[in-house]
Amino acid sequence: MMSSATLLRRAAPVLACIGLLAVWQVASLALKNDSLPTATEAIRAIPDILGDKESLINILASLRRMAIGFGVAVLVSIPLGLLMGRSRGVAAFFNPLLMVIYPVPKAALMPIIMLWLGVGDVTKTLVIFLGVSLPVIYHSFEGAKAVEEKMLWSGAAMGLSPAQRLVRIVLPAALPEILTGCRTGLVLALITMITSEMIARQSGAGNILFNALDMGQYDTVFAMIIIVGAMGICLDAIFERVRARLVRWSEPQFDMPLSFS
Amino acid sequence: MTIVPARSSEWVRPVRSQEPASAIIEIDLVSQVFQTSARKDHVALSEISLTIEEGAFVSILGPSGCGKSTLLYIVGGFVSPTSGSAKIKGHAITGPGPDRGPVFQEFALFPWKTVLGNVMYGPRQQGVRAAEAEAQSRALIEMVGLKGYESFYPKELSGGMKQRVALARTLAYHPEVLLMDEPFGALDAHTRTRLQNDLLNIWERDRKTVLFVTHSVDEAVFLSDKVVMMSKSPGRIREVIDIDLPRPRRRNELLLDPRYQKYVVDIERMFDESDEVGSAS
Repeated sequence: MMSSATLLRRAAPVLACIGLLAVWQVASLALKNDSLPTATEAIRAIPDILGDKESLINILASLRRMAIGFGVAVLVSIPLGLLMGRSRGVAAFFNPLLMVIYPVPKAALMPIIMLWLGVGDVTKTLVIFLGVSLPVIYHSFEGAKAVEEKMLWSGAAMGLSPAQRLVRIVLPAALPEILTGCRTGLVLALITMITSEMIARQSGAGNILFNALDMGQYDTVFAMIIIVGAMGICLDAIFERVRARLVRWSEPQFDMPLSFS
Repeated sequence: MTIVPARSSEWVRPVRSQEPASAIIEIDLVSQVFQTSARKDHVALSEISLTIEEGAFVSILGPSGCGKSTLLYIVGGFVSPTSGSAKIKGHAITGPGPDRGPVFQEFALFPWKTVLGNVMYGPRQQGVRAAEAEAQSRALIEMVGLKGYESFYPKELSGGMKQRVALARTLAYHPEVLLMDEPFGALDAHTRTRLQNDLLNIWERDRKTVLFVTHSVDEAVFLSDKVVMMSKSPGRIREVIDIDLPRPRRRNELLLDPRYQKYVVDIERMFDESDEVGSAS
């Protein structure tokens, strides 16, 4: 049996969504502006988009680019961040480079990349890769730096080589921090996915959105915003499930030591 | 600065190197200098020479900042001395190795591993088969009093329990020397006493060589065969004192023993004297 407090906590996100839609609906009815369709109009447009084969192919192509960009970025950034965290030389070499790239909006690099690589998948995937890399590198770096020296010494005394210590001690010890970076990276992947398609208007979810905007189909525009938002929520929820499983040992519900010496 | 030699008393006497040559660790003129700023050097250890016999329980006792932990880290191979040499069984120490097992004040357990996973880690690394490593580890966990907690994560344990796991984890790969760095320093008085008793019980079974760093006089006298007293800035050996008390030692008997009390009082007095010397210079 669920207590009323638990029930309320479970229902809170749903209530928040309903509340937002209600405010939207009222605002739209009050303003009577063409560029702000009502919530019901936008929601009614969603099945049309998802039922359209062309749109669906576009959205799936977007997700595929995002998955590749995110996956490659994570695979490259975690080892790099860990090495930077444990080696001052590596950190000294890469830190200035990353500090230059970090504040630059990745979409601002797109026109140049487009000149080199065209407007196809490679360019957009590369931009997603850049967007995801930096937070993952940063958090891996911070996580690796914070690993307790004595933990590494304990491993060294057991006979672990420096490479083994990096993989078998630094990586798991830094995992909670790394996954925090990956979670930020996942949201950034979604954002850069849409912005890349906004600049290189050729295919994808962003393309549907901005084409609709050009044609004044505001219900489609808002329907796409809802779809992208829902994708974000779903991806984040899936990621959170995986994350919670991987770092169960560091979760705060275990934070109550037993009273026994 | 001069160091006033301590008065030798009936129970407190400096040890000369007349012991038979069963030395397991030899520290020869080890100095450690840390550069604290561009112009200033901090001499943590100054020309330390010390020989530790196999099977002895030796405490390094000193005020904080006297370099006693640094000395332990040098023996562990975690830190290289600025000059001088340290040897184990006649071989120069160039890095950490499974012949020297550390137990740290910070526990340094692997938080992503369960109690059993932590204890099994060393034997598995040494190539012991999983089933065998698990059986040995379960026995060790029982020995340190944690039977039933095998599947717990470090985060779920109290400080005392964590240190028990850390001890079992180190004993699991059979080091020849235990290097204990203020292992009970982070624990409350009650827990500390229990762990001291249990450590003695475990040690009295197999008499592994122990190098034990502490700043507690009681702890050093209660546990050790030999107490190495250090003074600070620069870290030097001030006195080496044999603790001639019978074993097995029982806390309740020992606390009433005038010989034990005299050791504690004499060593504490030497500390006070060295403080005075320190403040006068």
